[in-house]
Amino acid sequence: MRIINLIKGDIRFQFKYGFYFVYAVFTAVYISLIFVMPQSWRERAAAIMIFSDPAAMGIFFMGAIVLLEKSERVLNSIAVSPVKTGEYILSKVVSLLFISVVVGIAITLPAGTKNLYASVIGTAFGSAFFTLCGLIVAANISSLNQFLTTAVPIEIISFLPPIMYLFGYDNMFMLIHPGCIIISLISGNSKHLFLLLAILCMWLVALYKVAHKYIQNMFQNAGGVNL
Amino acid sequence: MIQVVDLSFSYTRNKFLENIGFEVSEGEIFGFLGPSGAGKSTLQKILTGLIKTYKGQSIVKGIESKHFNNDFYENIGVDFEFPSLYEKLTGRENLEFFGSLYSKKLRNIDELLEMVGLKNDEDKKVSEYSKGMKSRLNFIKALLHNPDILFLDEPTSGLDPNSSRDMKNIILQEKKNGKTIILTTHNMTDAAELCDRVAFIVDGNIKALDTPHNLIMSKGASKIKYTYLDGTEKTGECLLSLTSHDKKLQELIESNRVLSIHSSEPTLNDIFMEVTGRVLQ
Repeated sequence: MRIINLIKGDIRFQFKYGFYFVYAVFTAVYISLIFVMPQSWRERAAAIMIFSDPAAMGIFFMGAIVLLEKSERVLNSIAVSPVKTGEYILSKVVSLLFISVVVGIAITLPAGTKNLYASVIGTAFGSAFFTLCGLIVAANISSLNQFLTTAVPIEIISFLPPIMYLFGYDNMFMLIHPGCIIISLISGNSKHLFLLLAILCMWLVALYKVAHKYIQNMFQNAGGVNL
Repeated sequence: MIQVVDLSFSYTRNKFLENIGFEVSEGEIFGFLGPSGAGKSTLQKILTGLIKTYKGQSIVKGIESKHFNNDFYENIGVDFEFPSLYEKLTGRENLEFFGSLYSKKLRNIDELLEMVGLKNDEDKKVSEYSKGMKSRLNFIKALLHNPDILFLDEPTSGLDPNSSRDMKNIILQEKKNGKTIILTTHNMTDAAELCDRVAFIVDGNIKALDTPHNLIMSKGASKIKYTYLDGTEKTGECLLSLTSHDKKLQELIESNRVLSIHSSEPTLNDIFMEVTGRVLQ
């Protein structure tokens, strides 16, 4: 029950702080762009849009969310509540995953992507992957500048190989890279689906463990009193 | 309720908290007094289970702090010095959200808001609250899940005299309800009024620990100050315990020339300065 309350709280937080409004505006812009593009470009353009925004924006939104929580000191109260570190992480992942999938579908449908379910799975895994990355970065920083200097290199490492993969450099070894698997799924490719999902799951488990360690440290540093 | 035995901890290789020992009984208000950086914050982190790498014992409700599981926090309420609230949520929404993290039966939110005079402002965003209103909301947030142990950090900081008086009355009422309260403060008047016992912490050590009354009586000495006319108004002073030795006072009393006479005791602040060599206020 607590996890449900946490997720509801996170969604309400994101709504009140205008994240949903920003997403609505971006989605409208993306859909408009899809419609003005030639038919042959739409599917690939939609894949890049979904990968770079609803899926990967988790890294930036999570940075903003955790920085806001740090600045309002609410992490102090969460640190001395019954909330477990895993519940905190899961709530953040699920709340952003929900909005990512909704926006992803909104962009995929007008683009005419052939395999909607693979695209949805890709968006969901992508959102979880980048949210965990965002949590790891956000747990270790205390300012927006610090966040940007840490997050941008991660974005470059996460983005370049998938874009290369999408534009034809589709060596099988590229599919070890989580970003390549995610963009492959988002663009509707369901070949070797279970193998790819197994690799992604391994990435997510590894990232979850790292995030758990850093978030726990963050709570220990946040709790107590600054006297 | 709380037993701390031979507790030591440091963030670095240099010694910080050293050989700390004290006990807090159920239903007691126990105060930590000390300057910034004295170790009060670190001690609180240990007692609330956030720091687990200490040496010695820190037992809260029969459980070693380092072994707390998350359910233990159902019984702990912490009121931080600075508000820890979602600014864009209303006062009520904040209470509802933080309350939803506990599985215990919550206290009535309306009654709590009424108690600290925030009932009429419950639907305002916290960002529109004054500093004092945020402090009061933060305080009832710590009471919401009806914890057995309350950690209060500067609970009257930023409050006007009336609100401060109300807050102290609520704290005393919570004590009557059986809560154990750990109070961290710089305010000696609050400590003397609220605490059953206080510990002076300086440089990671407890320098003194007793009831405020005993500390004042054991370290200080009550004095008598008197004024009289001798051409102009003059002042005399002697220790209360040596009144009979003050010839001048006796002479003034016999000749009815005393204009005023007052006894005075040292304050807890004076004792803190005497024991630790530091000034808090």
